[in-house]
Amino acid sequence: MERVIIRAQDVYYSYEPGAAQPAWALNGIDLEVYAGEYLAIVGHNGSGKSTLARHFNALLTPSRGEVWVNGLNTRDARHRLAIRSTVGMVFQVPDNQIVATLVEEDVAFGPANLGVPADELKRRVDWALQVVGMQKFRRQAPHLLSAGQKQRVAIAGAIALQPQVLVLDESTSMLDPAGQEEVLDAVRRLNQAGTTIIAITHFMHEAVKADRVLVLENGRIAMQGSPRQVFSQRDRLRELQLDAPPMADLAARLHARQPSFPPDLLTVEEMALEISRRVGRRREAGG
Amino acid sequence: MDERQRLFAQVNDLHHTYLRGTPLETVALRGVSMQIRTGEAVGIIGRTGAGKSTLIQHFNGLLRPRQPGRVIIEGQDMSDPTLDVRALRQRVGLVFQRPEQQLFERLVGDDIAFGLKQLGLPADERRARVRWAMELVGLDFDRFRNRFTFSLSGGEMRRVALAGVLALRPRVLILDEATSGIDPRGRRELLTHIAEWRQQSEVTLIIVSTNMDEIAELVERIYVLDDGRVVLCGTPRQLFADPVVLRQYGLKVPQVSALVHRLSELGVTMPRVPITIAEAADDVWTILNS
Repeated sequence: MERVIIRAQDVYYSYEPGAAQPAWALNGIDLEVYAGEYLAIVGHNGSGKSTLARHFNALLTPSRGEVWVNGLNTRDARHRLAIRSTVGMVFQVPDNQIVATLVEEDVAFGPANLGVPADELKRRVDWALQVVGMQKFRRQAPHLLSAGQKQRVAIAGAIALQPQVLVLDESTSMLDPAGQEEVLDAVRRLNQAGTTIIAITHFMHEAVKADRVLVLENGRIAMQGSPRQVFSQRDRLRELQLDAPPMADLAARLHARQPSFPPDLLTVEEMALEISRRVGRRREAGG
Repeated sequence: MDERQRLFAQVNDLHHTYLRGTPLETVALRGVSMQIRTGEAVGIIGRTGAGKSTLIQHFNGLLRPRQPGRVIIEGQDMSDPTLDVRALRQRVGLVFQRPEQQLFERLVGDDIAFGLKQLGLPADERRARVRWAMELVGLDFDRFRNRFTFSLSGGEMRRVALAGVLALRPRVLILDEATSGIDPRGRRELLTHIAEWRQQSEVTLIIVSTNMDEIAELVERIYVLDDGRVVLCGTPRQLFADPVVLRQYGLKVPQVSALVHRLSELGVTMPRVPITIAEAADDVWTILNS
């Protein structure tokens, strides 16, 4: 059986817990994250995605319920350091996460503060910059980089701490299409090398590439499953104020008109092949 | 009517350099020319660093043109040092990237009403306009007006900032990636509402974005900027016909347009380049049943 690396049990969270009728940002979350998986968490603004993400490395602790990381309860302050070394986080705006004046110094900042010795520090910085494809820029000033490059430096800084889990909280939402691709490529390489990825995103085309998709609504898990299972339910997604990825939407519309058309296609390639196969069959039948 | 008055913006050979004459000198615009008609909806697209934000800051006098560049806004030469930019800025509303950083009041309603108060509008008019602007951006007036601004989610903060500008009812609305970070569904609803309002009240709308998908259905024309130059200009359908060229500028066509290109590689010809999923569904249905 797969190893559970993060477990959330009946988690409630309110930003104003003292209120007479607190608004629950998280409303009873039960979740197990498995070591090595690529989990995407989607949901509209205000559905609780970022609040949940902040529970994974004890930036927030539950108002009610428990979160364990590698069996350590996030509520226990003695475990904070161990938990934050296990779970790294990258946020939305890269400029807010960069602290040093040179790329390599920024990447070294975390491990250097943990007292990692110089040889090991150099190895880690080299490795982290290589994973995100930024070795060439190591002597550059971060503020002269593009947004996609800065975000890759922020990821390098997080992985230089060698976390087992990397949480990306809408880390591509401020980037242009090329910048998004750069970051996603780096994340995929990390996942292939064994890092558990939890990607909070509202880009469905990103979530399509995950092993598992979780849909949040009003602080509850409203749907979960493989991307194909989740995204083929266009009407349910619409109730949750989400759009299916474009090709899943197109497949659903065609399936509604012609029931033999498969309802669960996700990518342009799958859709193009299905259409061309059907056109070919008609041509053969006709001629 | 005089041709010049019917143009919102006329830009000729505009150059701009940041930190000119220092070692950090960066050229942002390298000779941009364009025209935007009053009442038109135009997209300005390009990758990060293409010069989009620098360009539009010339539209309300935040930046001024240098020789030989010329920028004429509503018939006024923006290089004229005696120009009344305050009057211009009341007509031209500009919402920047990360508008949530523009919030400063404690309560949502007060924040949206701030500009109206400065204009000296009476309380009932202010209230009506705040309600109208909140509806336009998809925030329920009764539910949100007394919420603390700091307790909002990122997407909600962006809506509040946008409502604050809309409440002023500008004649020209410029959105500089003001909707990034709002979820796609909410973003499209928001932009659709703004587009409807634009048509009713003949507002000029300029949307700056890195994302073709979100503006394809909303704008009549698109200018593509790259490295400080206008590299392409046309209707969305004209531009999406060539995904290879767009990719070269770091941009992606919508997936429904990409599908048509992949199909043509597979020997299946579609009748047109679709912009929306509904159009694509009609086209695929037609070729599967013809």
